[in-house]
Amino acid sequence: MKRRNNKLNKRPQNPLNKLSLFQKTDSRFSKKCPLSGKGAPVIDYKNIKLLKRYVSDTDKIMPSRITSVSQNKQRKLTSEIKKAKILGFI
Amino acid sequence: MNFYEHTLITKQDLSTPELNNIEKKYKDIITNTEGKVIKVEKWGLLSFAKKIRAYNKGFYIHYKFEAENKTLNEIKRNSIIDGSLLRHLTVKYKKLDTETEYFKENNEKKKQ
Repeated sequence: MKRRNNKLNKRPQNPLNKLSLFQKTDSRFSKKCPLSGKGAPVIDYKNIKLLKRYVSDTDKIMPSRITSVSQNKQRKLTSEIKKAKILGFI
Repeated sequence: MNFYEHTLITKQDLSTPELNNIEKKYKDIITNTEGKVIKVEKWGLLSFAKKIRAYNKGFYIHYKFEAENKTLNEIKRNSIIDGSLLRHLTVKYKKLDTETEYFKENNEKKKQ
């Protein structure tokens, strides 16, 4: 049996249509992970150009809910960013 | 035997013969302890994101080799004692990627 992904199939609701402030919006983050799939860039501590995209101005690692990186790749990203920090690249 | 990558950061104010000595020293350590050097890359003088021990820049030397635990201990012991090194890092790999060089373009642009 195929599992239906109902969360993604829902139509995004206009956030202004909410009844109260505390009601959650139906619109979900449905962007695909930019680091997985075919032709994705290699996550490596030498690939600074890529790592700098996932670091804030104050050299903090960006959360995956903003960058929409998958959980597996986010774990790899953090370890590689920490290695790059040891070598003084970031 | 496993594959490893090792990078060294030396101080900024070293002359070229001194740099060559350091490069040779760690190459010899790997070969003397039954290791096998696959590739040596010189990334040249690069600037740090933050100051490391009051230095703004440093020379980077990168080794790719195949070795056992014995050589790793020897390299670690030597690089801690060595006064001309700022930092070092070893990373274990299942497969080594010897083709892509991330720091090659920067060096060529400077020479031109």
